[in-house]
Formats: sequence, structure tokens, C-alpha cells
Amino acid sequence: MASLKRSHALDPLAANISSKIYVRSTKSGKVQKIVREVYLRQDIPCSSRLCHSCPKNAPSSAAGKPIPFVLSEAPAGTSTFPQGHYLVPDTNAFLTAMDLFEQESAFYDVIVPQIVLEELRNRSLPLYNRLISLTKSEEKRFHVFFNEFRLETYVPRREGETVNDRNDRAVRKTVAWYAEHLAQTKAKKVPAVVMLSNDRENLRKAKEEGIHAFSMADYVKQLKDGDKLLDMIPEIEDRDDVKEKRLGGNLYPEYFSMSKMMTGVKNGLLHQGIFNVSPYNYLEGSIRVPAFPKALLILGRENINRSIDGDLVVVEVLPKDQWKEPSTQIIEEDAITKNENPDADDAEDVVSAKERKALQEEVKRAHSKTTEGHAQPTARVVGVIKRNWRQYVGHIDQSSVSQSAQQGRKQDTVFVIPMDKKIPKILLRTRQVAELLGKRILVTIDAWDRSSRHPVGHFVRNLGELETKQAETEALLLEYDVQYRPFPKTVLDCLPKEGHDWRVPQNLDDPGWKDREDLRHLNICSIDPIGCQDIDDALHSKPLPNGNFEVGVHIADVSHFVKPNNAMDTEASIRATSVYLVDKRIDMLPMLLGTDLCSLKPYVERYAFSVIWELTPDADIVSSKFTKSVIKSREAFSYEQAQLRVDDDSQQDDLTKSIRILMALSKKLKQKRLDAGALSLSSPEVKVQMESETSDPIDVKTKVLLDTMSLVEEFMLLANTSVARRIHEAFPQTAILRRHGAPPKTNFDELANQLKVKKGLDLSVESSRALADSLDRCVDPKESFFNTLIRIMATRCMMSAEYFCSGTQAYPEFRHYGLASEIYTHFTSPIRRYADLVAHRQLAAAIEYEPVHPSVRSRGKLEAVCKNINVRHRNAQLAGRASIAYYVGQALRGKATEEDGFVMKIFSNGFVVLVPRFGIESLIRLRDLAEMEPQAEFDAETYTLKTSGSREVTVELFQKVRVRVTDQKDETTGKRGVKMELVSTY
Amino acid sequence: MASQIHVNLSPAELAYLHASLSLTPPIRPDGRSPDQYRPLSAETGILPGTNGSARICFADGTEAIVGVKAEVEKTGRRWDDDTIFLEGGGDDEEGGDKEKGSTQQGGNKEWVELTVEIPGQRDDDSATVFLAQMLSEALLADGGFVERLKINRGWHWKLYLDILLISPPLSYPLPLLSLTTHLALLSTRLPRLKSEGDEDPFFDDDWAAAPYLYPRDKKARPPVTLLVMAVGNNIIFDPAKEELAVADVVLAVSVADVADRKGKGVEDEDMDVDGRKLKLLSIRTVDPPSRLTPPGVPNASNTAYGHASAGATQQKMPEARAVESEAVEGVWKAPRGGAKLAVMGALVQKVLQKGGVADEVLDALEAVDLS
Repeated sequence: MASLKRSHALDPLAANISSKIYVRSTKSGKVQKIVREVYLRQDIPCSSRLCHSCPKNAPSSAAGKPIPFVLSEAPAGTSTFPQGHYLVPDTNAFLTAMDLFEQESAFYDVIVPQIVLEELRNRSLPLYNRLISLTKSEEKRFHVFFNEFRLETYVPRREGETVNDRNDRAVRKTVAWYAEHLAQTKAKKVPAVVMLSNDRENLRKAKEEGIHAFSMADYVKQLKDGDKLLDMIPEIEDRDDVKEKRLGGNLYPEYFSMSKMMTGVKNGLLHQGIFNVSPYNYLEGSIRVPAFPKALLILGRENINRSIDGDLVVVEVLPKDQWKEPSTQIIEEDAITKNENPDADDAEDVVSAKERKALQEEVKRAHSKTTEGHAQPTARVVGVIKRNWRQYVGHIDQSSVSQSAQQGRKQDTVFVIPMDKKIPKILLRTRQVAELLGKRILVTIDAWDRSSRHPVGHFVRNLGELETKQAETEALLLEYDVQYRPFPKTVLDCLPKEGHDWRVPQNLDDPGWKDREDLRHLNICSIDPIGCQDIDDALHSKPLPNGNFEVGVHIADVSHFVKPNNAMDTEASIRATSVYLVDKRIDMLPMLLGTDLCSLKPYVERYAFSVIWELTPDADIVSSKFTKSVIKSREAFSYEQAQLRVDDDSQQDDLTKSIRILMALSKKLKQKRLDAGALSLSSPEVKVQMESETSDPIDVKTKVLLDTMSLVEEFMLLANTSVARRIHEAFPQTAILRRHGAPPKTNFDELANQLKVKKGLDLSVESSRALADSLDRCVDPKESFFNTLIRIMATRCMMSAEYFCSGTQAYPEFRHYGLASEIYTHFTSPIRRYADLVAHRQLAAAIEYEPVHPSVRSRGKLEAVCKNINVRHRNAQLAGRASIAYYVGQALRGKATEEDGFVMKIFSNGFVVLVPRFGIESLIRLRDLAEMEPQAEFDAETYTLKTSGSREVTVELFQKVRVRVTDQKDETTGKRGVKMELVSTY
Repeated sequence: MASQIHVNLSPAELAYLHASLSLTPPIRPDGRSPDQYRPLSAETGILPGTNGSARICFADGTEAIVGVKAEVEKTGRRWDDDTIFLEGGGDDEEGGDKEKGSTQQGGNKEWVELTVEIPGQRDDDSATVFLAQMLSEALLADGGFVERLKINRGWHWKLYLDILLISPPLSYPLPLLSLTTHLALLSTRLPRLKSEGDEDPFFDDDWAAAPYLYPRDKKARPPVTLLVMAVGNNIIFDPAKEELAVADVVLAVSVADVADRKGKGVEDEDMDVDGRKLKLLSIRTVDPPSRLTPPGVPNASNTAYGHASAGATQQKMPEARAVESEAVEGVWKAPRGGAKLAVMGALVQKVLQKGGVADEVLDALEAVDLS
């Protein structure tokens, strides 16, 4: 019987074929044996310019051109390798010290074995993307070597070998092969091939095999200027030693095994969700899980068990006797653990004495209440599914720095206080304490062991002096994950070649005119804030013979310039939105498009996407039409200019008349919307006035609302709704829409109760209409701002609106709660929002202007896009607000003003005051009230805080108070913030 | 159920064959001794995508391939069983036995799905279905086999056995298919379990670490079904198709090595190291094809020899006549009746005997390189 198995003895090419066999567990729970044949080749080039043999048989690109070799013929040397060297890092090196590889001073000529790239992708997608962009940059000379397909470097897995060990061996094999291969080039100076790893075991084996290998730290020490880089390296990974050494001192409970957690979650005994930290109390977290309508509380360090805000964790509900009320105390980490010593490992208990005391007070308070109904279910974290660690901006806690460290360059352990209050202090080992003190720095968290009270991280970058504009702005952008690097060349290559000279073609036969309506004759104008450069929208209106009106909204035709799936589109989809800071704008699209070619500037012809309605005088839609068009805007008004023009009766030109028509119609539209139950919500909005030359903030003004603003808004809403209907009709499964979920009633419980107790007002929340009406009723005749205050607070109880793909929700869920619209999307700002761009493409396909591109039809892709936009959008908002807050602080610097404020929130040891004039809110603690902290009595039922002793005041919720606003720099933390002092109560 | 293999032998040839097989010792047409198997060649691991596979060729050219695939499946629970197992392992001892009882009656048979494919025959052909039934019966006869498929209380492996005869069925394929199945199961490996207790199973991704369904260092072996026939008092193993055509009785005997089965008594430990503990799992009679063979006509009633006196009625009903006629020495007559008890007893003993046929077959298959 002849064997059916492939016989390796007879086949001359047998050596080129290998197979990989492994077990794959799929998400659906299937377990499959996978057999892959691997075809090994010998023509994969080493890509070193020194090599003469590889270019001869290296495969060429698809275009038939030879692929250029990357690695330099004269790579840089180090003290150990004066002849020059190539680097081969392993996965672990990239995972722990990617920042180093991005340095400009070193780390050139790097060989990235394919296996490392693949492993990195599985471990961390963001790091993988960073590495890919490194391999694409020409100056860094990173080469991906396909070691898994080259005959000489392929290693089959050995019996009983873990995948990690096998991959490490593959990396070592690659190093060895390169060394051998380069030696054959007979070059004068053969560069050494050096493996970089932070894995002790891998290093040991490399030494045994006679390969050059260094730990990151040892390698960096050989570099010129290496000391500075040294801080960016995390501790060497030691698989066993550490655990044994500290076995006794574990502070935190161990995590459950992954399979135990998954079983528990499936059975409904454990719950999975995103861990959120309360902004007022760093020891209190909450987690929303699908099983319960209300969030579960997680109290105390031990229960939080090393999770950090944003982590995806699994929790277990605690027995009922451990249920608690959410704290009414403000607990800030800096205050409580201010004097901790980062060096001392005396941490026998996770909970320090001070923390424990704070907790006791909590318990006392909880027990003093007889109403047991208030206690909320609590839970403890039993495991982390996915860490959501990123890089954190912070600064070194001055009090944690020992005196000696400020001079010498010996390694010292200090605390970094992250800017984000929800992130715990990070332990940092650094040699540059003296240099980094008082600077904004970027750090990452490496690990959080059971034995360490705080997470351990390493230094990444110095952003600059605290409170300098540049450092603080960059800090903001980093903190909110805003992509602010300049657009790469690949993106700029997608721009029209004509640059600023691009014009709408004059010849109507030009392909650009195909299916485009010529609307140049219309009296179109745009109305925007002063100084707006990226003009997304323009309007026109004209009376029709039948007494109705034709109204058009014309939106910049960005989709004409940004084609799906090119580099620019990809970049825009990652950025997702433009970010507006006080003094800076981070664009989603390159300047050329955003402020020129797409922008509907006056007096020039531009491509546009137009929505044209016929409206009755009562603003009912008779018909609507969507078309690509060419327009010529007659004027670009600012809101103020437009308002003046409308109000000035002497102006009787067509343009002004057209605006008046729009104004009249918009008021009717608004009334209809309000009748349908649209909410008018509020958030404190202020504008920072800058000195024009130095752009230093000089004053803060609250924004004034003009009728023209609401004019533009109404028509944009109308356009968005019309477009939403149209694309949903064309793509019932894949239309990109925006919804605003109705908030759960429980969200308003607190506020409704507060209103009832304090003001005797009822807040009804059955529908948006009811809420709108009851918000209207929340008026304090003596205090006009009271209504706004309630609106601000109500807004905070709402869900946030989100983009979604229509197939993922049922039609009733499409509803936009705030706008009281059945269906809604974003269409009107494609220059600054990616969602609008997608909507443009879908609408273009729906009106058969262009064929449907697969990317706007694939639901999976759209869902991913929506998810990203939602996150980015939120971050952009937060960044914008933080920027305003920073500038408000700067504007107040050195000044002290007395302002009116309102009490928004009240705790047993302090309260939060909102100052409408500056749109800022700040905490006033009891101990701020007087030199000696006064005694206080807190009545949670009536939201009243009564102090006695050194100062006697009674503070109630919603109360108007007089506060002195100053800026203050906290000496221990180096943070400048707004400080409020209570002057008097009204 | 008859094994439908048509043998074109005349009554005289049948009678001759029967006579020579009834001798002591019997003389088999291919010169084998009564308990000798036909030579075979075997290999395993021919289908890389399966969990285990084997191929066996008999010297007469019949050939079979068996592939085993395993899938993780949730063990169905009774509707009233709402126990949720979170903390695994510890209480297995108490809970285990009760559970075993219920699941064995529950759905254990469904944990193995076995299909037989024979070229030229429909898969719902009664002969094929019967073959499949016999082969799965051997696996399911005592809960021992399915017990191995249990992962924990919530999960088990489901095995799919695909048995393919790839040559025309020259002889009754049962022994070939059974041996191939045995070999395939021997080479079957299941991914190594990494989770503990009653957690949802979670497996090692290293195939090289996957343990064998029947660990090599343990004694237990999958069952094997032997085809045995009796002619007179002679017991003949692995009959060829000609031999089957004259068999008095044909039996399919399934045995398994249960040497280290748990809970089957401590006395096993006294056994010597090489010893097997064979256990008889099932015996099935197979309707021998000999029953359908045409009978010979004794000279006494042959008209060609001048005995025309036989009535016209007899001429019209040859079957009836054959039944009624007395057995005549040297004239073939299809066997009637079942197996004699003594023959059965001897047969079982011969199978289970130390160094007996089953032992020999298992030894031979043991020697096949599993890779």
C-alpha cells in the first residue's frame, strides 16, 4: 500500500514546505484544529544596501519595479559596536518602549521580523499602527523582514514549546541569519546585528546561542545621550523573581482566570462593564452593566482592585450588608495621600490610615440613616478583561521628591499626578527628577502588580514648562487623544494638484459638471461666526409665484474632493472631527480643502450639495429636492452683520429680503419644533477674548444669542432631517444617522427630588414634551438665571447623542430626544465632521449621482466608523471645554473678582458653585471657609449644609452666593486652578 | 440481516468448501489457520485536518479510511436542573456520580455521530445502516467511551466519525471498517484543556500538546469488532467472502480493553503490566449469506439420474422440496437454525483468551506508528 501522506524523502522541494498545526478557539466557542501549509522561499531579501546577492533575485513590486532596499550601508555605531549595527527588537521591546523607537536621536536601521509585527498586532493595535507608520517613514529605515517565509529563518514549533518561546526563538534565528548573511557580503565594515529584548529569558538564550543581545536599558546606555532615554524604559521583565520576592506582600486580591470570568458572566453571576471613577471621589467607581438599570457602586481601593477609569472589567455583586450609599463627601487623592512616600514599600495594607478614616466617616453617616432604601448595591472588581490604558499627561508630585534627588542623577522614585483626576497617581522611576520638576510630562502605565499600591509607569516625553501655552495645549490634545500631528505626505498627495488655483471648470462639458445643477444665479449667502474660515453652509430663499417660498441650503461638497478609502479619507475618518480650542483649530481635513476649496467663500464659484425645499408661508414642506450644484455665494456675513442688516429697515436689497424671509420661516420652524417637544437645553458657554497680537486671554464673555444664529440652526436642522429621511429610505440598513436616546427616568430622580424639596417644583419626565414644559415652569421670579441653571443640570442628566448605523436599531429607537425628531443625521458640516461626509456619500448614491461605494454600504465598517466618531466627538467637546477652562483660569490670573454664583451640588464637607459669568464651576470645601475648619452639619434630605464654630453659614442647594474668584496655584501639586472663596450668601 | 455479497459458487463447490472447513483442523481456501487474520497494511494521520484518521488496506484490495472530527458542545441539562456551577472542581466527588448516572441515560448516545459510506450503495441502504449501527453499538455499549468525551459538567466533545470504504466491497467490510475505526480513534487527539472545573472550556492552542483520546501510556483501548464464523464446531476468524458463503453462524463480537477503567475493581492492579483486560461489549449475529445459497440436489431426487417419480408439485416448488429433503452427505444444503450454545461459548472464550485473536489484533494495531 502506498502511503497517502506527503513523503518528504522523495520530493526535492520538500524542504520548502512546512506546516503549522494549531488549535483555534473561535468566538462562538468552536474549537478547531487548523493546519496551514507554509511555503518557504529563498528570495526574500535582507533589504540591506550592503548586500549584493539579495537584489539579484529579490521579487519586484506589482508594478514590476524593484523594491528599494532600506537598511543603510553605513548604519550608526554605538560604543560597543563602532562598526555600526542593525537592531532586531522582539515584540516585548515594542510593547514596552515604542516611544523609544520613535525617537529622532537614535533607533535607526531596525529590522522588524514579521512574527514580531504579527504578535504586536494581536497584543496592541495602537502600537501596531505606530510601528506601521514607522516602517513607512523613509528616514527611520525600518524594514519588515518576512522571517516566517524565508527558508533559513523559519522555525517550526517544538514539542511542548509555548508560542511565545517559539516566537522568541524565531527572532533569535532571524538575528543569527542576518549576522551570517551580512558576513558574506564581505563589506569593509560589517554591521553587527543586535537583538533588543526586555525578556530576561530571551536574553539568556541569546547569550547561549552567541547572538548580540541587550536589554533596552543596556543598549540605551551605549548610545550617546543615552541617559535621557533611559527613563523611557520600563523595568526589565522578570517572569518569576518578582513574584516570589513579594509573595507575602500582596495588597490586592488576585484576579479570576479568564475562563472563570467568562463562565460567570454568561451565567449572570458576574457582570461585565466599563469602570468609571466618580469625578468627586477617587475611591468611588461605578459600573453600568446590562443586567441592572442602575449603575453598581464600587467603593474603596480593595474593591476597585487596580482598575483604572475606562478599563473593561468584570465585577461581582457584594452581599447586601455591604451595600452603601454613594458618598456625599469629596475625596481627592492629592489631599488624602499627599504625604505618601513613593520609595517606602511599607504598604502592608492597601488602604492607608487616612483613607480608612475617610471610609469610617462614610459608614457612620450611612448608619445614622434609618432609611435602608438608600443603600445602593455595591460590587467588587474580580478581573479586568481589557485595559484601556493610554498615555497620561501629568506632573511630578513635588512632595514625593526627596531632597537628594533634586541634584544628583541617580534613579529616584516619584509620584506623577495625572491631569485627569480619575487616574490614580503613577509611580515613576526616573533619573531626571531635577529636570522634570515643574514640567508637564507624558507617562504611560506599564503594570499594576498585586503587591504595589500604585501603578508603575515610565516617562515618555517632556511637554514643557507647566502653564506655558504650548505645553498646556499639547497636554490637552494628548489627554483627549486628539490627532494633532501635521497631515502626512500621503494625505497631502490626495489634494487636487492645482492647489489654491483650483477653480470650478468654466466648460459645462467638464466631467465635474456632470449631473450638477447650475445655481450660480441664486442669491446665496452664508452666515457664520466672526472669523470663520471653514464655511460649510450657505442659504438662499426666494418667493415663488404661488405664494410659497423656495428655500435652499447649500453645503460644501467635500465628498467631491475626498474619495472613499484613499489616504485622506482614512485620516479624516480617524480624526472624525475638527477640534476647536480657544486659540487653535485642529482640522479634520487639510487646510487647502477646509478653508479654501471646499469652503463656500463669497464671490467665488464652489461645488455644493444643495437641499432645496418648497415651503408654504407656514413653513410646511411641499416638496424637497437634493442635488449637487455649483453656487456662487454673494456674501459671507457674520451673525452680527446679518442681524444688523435684517434689523435695518433701510436695507431693501434682494439679499436682505431673502434673509428676512428665512428669518420669518425659521421662527415658524422653531415654534413647530418646540410644540413637538424639542428641548432647549443649556450649557454655560463663554468666549475668551484674546489680545490680538500675543493671543493672551484678556477677558471672558458669555455668548450672546442672536436671532440669526437660530435662523441658521433651524435650516440646518431641517436639512439634516430631510437628508436623514432620504438616506434611510435609500439604505434602510446602512444609513448613517444620529440618535439621542430618551434618558432613563432614574437619571432625573436626583434633580426632581432636589427641585421638589428646595423649590416645590415638579419635574415631569414622561416625554421630552413634558420635560420641556416643566423646565419652562422652573422659574424663580427673583432670579432669572435659575431657569438656565436647571437647564444646565437637566442637560447633565441626559444621555449623549450618538451616531449609529440604521440597521443596528429599530425605527422607534432612531428618535432624537432633544430635537423631538423621529429621524436625524448630520449633513451640514462635512468640512469638520466625518459623519456628514459619509451622509454626503450616501445621499449622492441615493440620488444616483454616483454609484454606491462599498464603504458606505458595509454595515460592519459603518458601525466601526460610528463608534470612532462618537468617541472622537466627545473627546473634541471635552478638549474644547478644557481649553476654555484653562484660558478662563489664565484670564483671571492675578486678578480677584467678586461674582455671583449658584450652588449646584452639595456634599457633607463642601459644595460646588457655578459662576455663570465665567462658565466655571468650582468646589468650596469646608476647610476653605475659615482658617480653622468649621464644624458642619449636613442634612441630605433638605440639601443643607450648616456650619458652626469658626464660621457660621448655611448653604443650600440652588442658593445664590457671592464668591471671590481668584486663581491659585497649589504649591504641592503645581496645578493652577480657579479658586473660589465664599464671600456671603444671599 | 444478510451481508449481501454474491458469491457465484455452485452447490457442489459450496458443499466442498463446507466439508473442508468442517475438518479438524479446518482447511481454509487461502491456507490461513482458523484464527489468523488476513494480512493488512495500515497508516494513521493521513488527513491532517482531522483530530485523528487512519487507513487500512487488506491484502485482497479492500481499503477503508476513517476520519474523526471533534467539536465542543454544550451538555444539555434537564429542564429542572438549574444548578449553576461557578466554583469548579472541589465538589466533583460527591456530585460526580449522580451526574454520571443522569447524563449517561440522557444524551450520551448523541455525543458520537457515525456515518458509513460504501461505494455503490445508498447511505440509507439497510446493509449500510446496519453496519453503522453495529460499529456505533460497539462504541456506545458500555458508557466507557462516551465518558472520555466529557469535558466537565457543562460541556463535552462531540465526535464525528466518517467511515469510508474506498474500494468495492469485496468481502463483508465489517472487520475492515472496525479496525480502521479503532486505529483512527487510537490516533485521535483532543485539544488540551486549560480551564479548570466547570468553567466554560478553554483550550491550549498548541496542537503538539493535545493529549490522545486514548493515552498511549494507559492500557485502555477503543473497542474493536471482530467477525467470527462457525462451521460445524470449527470457529474461524476473519472469514473471506467464500468462507462466509458456507458459514453456519456468523457473529460480530465487539471487545474493548478496559484495563484502567476507573471503578471497575481494584483487582486490575494485580494484573501484570502487559496484561489486557478485555471486556466483551456485544455479540450480534449476522445473517450469513449462506442462507440464500441454492441447495444442491441429491442424486436420489435428480431426474437426470432417472428418478422422475418425484411429483409435479415438487418440481414447481423447489424451495419447499429442499427444505423437506433430508441432509445428504456431500450435497449442499443452506444451514438452518441458530448458533449452538457450545459454539458460542467456545467462541467468546477464544476471543477473550489471553494471547487470543483479539489480543493479537490489538497488538498489531498498537504497533502502527501514530503520527
